[in-house]
Amino acid sequence: MRKLLPRRRLLIEGPGAWLAAGGVALSLLMVLALLALIAGRGLAHFWPPDIEAVTLVSGERFAGQPVREQGLPGQASGSERLYRTGNRDLDGDQWRWVEVNAIDTRTTPEDLVIIERRRWGPFIGRLLRLEGPEAQWTASDGAALWRELEERMARVSQLRHERDALHNHRLEPLAEHVDDSAMSPSEEDELREIKARILALQDAMQRDHVVLESLSGQRLELSLEALIEVKRPNAMSLLAKLASWGEGVWRFLSEGPRAANTAGGVWPAIFGTVMMVLLMSVLVTPFGVLAAVYLNEVAPQGRLTRLVRIGVRNLAGVPSIVYGVFGLGVFVYGIGGSLDSLFFADELPSPTFGTGGLLWASLTLALLTLPVVIVATEEGLARIPDSQREGALALGATRSEALRRVVLPMAVPAMLTGVILAIARAAGEVAPLMLVGVAKLASQVPVDDEFPFIHLERKFMHLGYHIFDAGFHGGDVQAAMPLVYATALLLVLVIVVLNLTAILLRHTIRARHVVQAHR
Amino acid sequence: MTERSLSPSPWRRRFRYVRDRLFTLAVTACGIGVILAVLAIGVFLVVEVVPLFTGSASTANSDAIDIESLWLPQQYPGYDEPQYRWQANAATDADTPMFSLTPLAWGTLKAAVYALLFAVPLALGAAIHSACFMSRRLRFRIKPVIELMEALPGVVIGFIAGLVLAPYVERHLVGVFALVLVLPLGILAAGIIQARLPWCLSKRVPLGWAGLWLIPWLAGLVALTLGISPYLEVLWFDGDMRTWMDQQLGLDYATRNAMVVGLAMGFAVIPTIYSLAEDALAGVPASLSEGAQALGASQWQTLWKVLLPAASPGIFSAVMIGAGRAVGETMIVLMATGNTALMTLSPLDGMRSMAANIAIELPEAAPGGVHYQLLLLCALLLFVFTFCVNTLAELVRSRLTQRYQRLGGTT
Repeated sequence: MRKLLPRRRLLIEGPGAWLAAGGVALSLLMVLALLALIAGRGLAHFWPPDIEAVTLVSGERFAGQPVREQGLPGQASGSERLYRTGNRDLDGDQWRWVEVNAIDTRTTPEDLVIIERRRWGPFIGRLLRLEGPEAQWTASDGAALWRELEERMARVSQLRHERDALHNHRLEPLAEHVDDSAMSPSEEDELREIKARILALQDAMQRDHVVLESLSGQRLELSLEALIEVKRPNAMSLLAKLASWGEGVWRFLSEGPRAANTAGGVWPAIFGTVMMVLLMSVLVTPFGVLAAVYLNEVAPQGRLTRLVRIGVRNLAGVPSIVYGVFGLGVFVYGIGGSLDSLFFADELPSPTFGTGGLLWASLTLALLTLPVVIVATEEGLARIPDSQREGALALGATRSEALRRVVLPMAVPAMLTGVILAIARAAGEVAPLMLVGVAKLASQVPVDDEFPFIHLERKFMHLGYHIFDAGFHGGDVQAAMPLVYATALLLVLVIVVLNLTAILLRHTIRARHVVQAHR
Repeated sequence: MTERSLSPSPWRRRFRYVRDRLFTLAVTACGIGVILAVLAIGVFLVVEVVPLFTGSASTANSDAIDIESLWLPQQYPGYDEPQYRWQANAATDADTPMFSLTPLAWGTLKAAVYALLFAVPLALGAAIHSACFMSRRLRFRIKPVIELMEALPGVVIGFIAGLVLAPYVERHLVGVFALVLVLPLGILAAGIIQARLPWCLSKRVPLGWAGLWLIPWLAGLVALTLGISPYLEVLWFDGDMRTWMDQQLGLDYATRNAMVVGLAMGFAVIPTIYSLAEDALAGVPASLSEGAQALGASQWQTLWKVLLPAASPGIFSAVMIGAGRAVGETMIVLMATGNTALMTLSPLDGMRSMAANIAIELPEAAPGGVHYQLLLLCALLLFVFTFCVNTLAELVRSRLTQRYQRLGGTT
């Protein structure tokens, strides 16, 4: 009798079931941790942290923003903290590891400033005085100093704007024109006048100075022209910090990179990515849809078509770098090289189309994402009940009419899904772009006001490559890290949003067809 | 008269017919053209690589390269024994570049093997759980999350692996090794605790939702293990496991090593394997498992004796496709290894994979030269390998679908 009773077991479903459950939990944990890491670090980058004035036990003083803390190597207890101390021109380095035990006091005095400069990275210390030609303001003036500084910095940025406009819209066209032909006297006068005005503007920009002092007592005099932004994070209220955070995000999205891609924004990279992806989707959509329609609607459904279908599907699994190699060999060296020798022979040996560029990158990625679009569209076409086609044919429509009026409109959501998935894949691909036209730092955006407005042969910047370049080729990886996190967050956000759209679309298609099948 | 006005004029009919033919012709031409263009990749690579072996390379050293010299150890000046070496950029003109594909192939396969070692157990476990034990509501929610995981770009994963994970693992080596033991035991412990809980509590944490409620438990375990890692290191390894390994076991430790690549690329491969394996398991006709359960088998027995054998071809093809992806992944290997062409098995050494090698060297290689053609040969090898693996997997899968249809066809 006892034997029939179930033995009380340690685990109800056996160990395997639990380990399997652990697989799900662990995978989800990793995804969540990754996303949380990127989002946390990426967003925290724009928050202005307090500046600490640190006095060491040894009596040495310095100011810096705490970055992170980690255990001492080889010891169980104790930790060290990394400070960003700035002042690379004064101290030789802008990072400093300090043992926590060696710190005597930490304070956050309100008068500490962090100044973004055009050269040498940030300065951290005190603002002693502001010197204009007519007067000067010292720290004891309080609010008046800051008001004055703000006004004068606004003046400098306006002058800079004027100078850039003059340079771009007057000087450059003139210089280009002069390159082509000999200079007439009137043009010579104009050139001289513009140059003089630019010099005058530059002098005016350097009128005002600030005198700065680091906590270790070194002094520094800088003209306002060299400053980008002056902040006093210790004196900011929470609201002011929030505003500064928002401004930081905006500047990240709208400005170009500085300091060898380790600071500044990613606007050119966003622009390049969007341009490339747009061009790619324009190329891939018609061809992908046509190929899918041919495979599913026109081609005889025999053994050969099945083989071709499997082949196309498998091309989605071919490594992206192989497409890059194909793009380089065929598009860049093959077609680009012949185009150069045919149409741009006077520019040779410097290549026009015979080097990587926007067009070749888009074409390569279009080829790469073609299988994605074909497979998704085919799936959509296969889901359309045959009764729809037969109904159209029975009413006297020809095959092309049935296709265009009945089948294709029903397959539009599936095509959209395919194109969105293709875009999501293309936005994240970097390896092939490294071969066919991405640039570390593109001096010119591929679109400008110069004929023919879109320059398909130019190199471009890309968000994904920006991550690779700033994180692995930059000089100061530590300084680039927050920026790389922010860029990664941007890229992941774009891709997640695109994928969610595709998933939702596919969901609605499936739901719709289920309803139709049940009617 | 009335009949005539009802039926369209013959001209109009003819026009529609011609338009139909033209349309069909255009679609056919375009479709075939696109498909040919896509398939041209293989043709292009073959055409470019063939001169390498026939000796018509258009550069200075135009002698043909034989296959043996690419794969067998070669005697180079300055070395005592024949060596496997890939060193494309000769430092001086007197140096001969060393082209041996063996270390590259080795690196590629090593990275893929370590990635699969990490990914296959996790992905298959997850697939088994979500096909057999997970509650239906959760399953519909989890699929999109895993699909998102698949869409994460390699460059982001590679950046995290190379700049965040690699230094972190180096500092918490003991903790990371300990996790291999701690995590399975912790999961089993969670199961035992759940079975011991009074009914009113244990029904709140059912196995069907374990995928969710295990997450905080595992996160706690991971944090704890890594937190005590420095203490363990002091206790067992004199405070520095790297030096200890170097002295006691003679193992070198590279910061960016195969272990980190395995973790990162495994992470990238998990969703591929998971979704294909899950499809295969969920596609097994319900009549099979219902029959087994009616005969008194437990859920685990049903899975082990009925579902897994039935779905094994599908699971096999899932692993194959995962392997294909791991072999071709470029950015992760590029960023998470030191890219040194070593030939060791140790998980603590770096490697240089074919894909990463192409990405590094092809932009600088002169088109038409031997180096360029060898890199194209690498690309061809990658192409052929992944294409064959995928085709095989696809054939197995379509066979399986047919079998399922036959088995479940009566219902």
